[in-house]
Amino acid sequence: MTGKDIIKITLNLVIVYLIGGFILSFVYANASPRIFRNNQEAEKNALKELMPDADSIDKMGEWSPHEKHAKYFIAKKGGETTGYVVQSFGKGYSSYINTFIAVNKDFKVQKIKILAHGETPGLGDEIEKDWFQNQFKDKSIDHLKVIKGETKEDIQAISGATISSRAVTEDAVKNGVAFLVKTITEGGSADVQHQHD
Amino acid sequence: MSSTSTTNLKDLFLNGVIKENTIFKLALSLCPSIAVTNNLKNGVFMGGAVLFVQTMVNITISLMRNVIHPKVRLPIFMLVISGWVTVTQMLMAAFVPDVYAKVGLYIALIVAFASILARAEMFASKNSFLPSMADGLGMGVGFLFALTTISFFRELVGKGSLWGYPIIDTKPILLLILPAGGFFAVGILMALFNWINARAAAKAAPAAH
Repeated sequence: MTGKDIIKITLNLVIVYLIGGFILSFVYANASPRIFRNNQEAEKNALKELMPDADSIDKMGEWSPHEKHAKYFIAKKGGETTGYVVQSFGKGYSSYINTFIAVNKDFKVQKIKILAHGETPGLGDEIEKDWFQNQFKDKSIDHLKVIKGETKEDIQAISGATISSRAVTEDAVKNGVAFLVKTITEGGSADVQHQHD
Repeated sequence: MSSTSTTNLKDLFLNGVIKENTIFKLALSLCPSIAVTNNLKNGVFMGGAVLFVQTMVNITISLMRNVIHPKVRLPIFMLVISGWVTVTQMLMAAFVPDVYAKVGLYIALIVAFASILARAEMFASKNSFLPSMADGLGMGVGFLFALTTISFFRELVGKGSLWGYPIIDTKPILLLILPAGGFFAVGILMALFNWINARAAAKAAPAAH
């Protein structure tokens, strides 16, 4: 390899990588605000759907179920607290199930919404279905357990997807509600120090 | 790869779609063809992403082919491929976030697709702009066609729906949307594709005499 070759190789790599870097940063600069807005929009819509009556839903702080970042919110109507929304994660069959849970002032579940998951299509992804999620309405923390078979008191498992059903019910929702009960009734202003961006 | 000498752009395009179809003929990149094809929407967007990357990579390499030093061609090919993949990723996250949430992981894997690097090395680095573009488009359309067919079949028969809308009220053969069913679906469609091709060839042969 001659000196000329080395210079040519160096120039080749430097120029190509510089151009590549420029193109990437240009696309990133244009796409990233939109990506950020998309995520915020998804969260805002989820909150609105969970607490349709509230006129303000504000972030109270963050917590970390399964070492992940999760937020919790307070919902108010006419200045009065009507309930809380908490984000939680459940360890499912093949993914962490990202769930939002709305509770009323007495910490009874009002509605749940699953934002993202990677459970088995056709089996585990039934957790997205209304019949499964509607079971959570008005359940208190003692009834957040999965039963295989018919039940009105507790949560009925999806056949063929007991692990996914359990992950949502006994991991995500139950821990989320338990966290809210503990934080709101006992601590008051826990976790405010985690309010980083 | 006798196509190098052919100047006919249409032949180059059809070569990628039919004669050297990445999945049905070369049996390359089978992992994504099973992993993302359990519903039509994911299959189509994944195919579209590959079509875009393959075409852009071929164009870029063919334009640079005279200035690339042969000793560093592979690092440069890899940069070009991963650059275009990253662009695709960011655009999808910005404009189709719900699809990106499902196929995002596999989009990143396009970087390692044997078929894309192979076209850059064997074709685009030796041919000028137009033939390279035709080759890239052909290969990409072939891939898109294969993924669309597989995911159409799997979602319809496995889940009874298409593009997320229910068509039949039952799940005829649930197995097909499970990972194992992916192998069956690819196998069945690959056989069908080759059978149709063989029949067409048999029909064309006597006519040539």
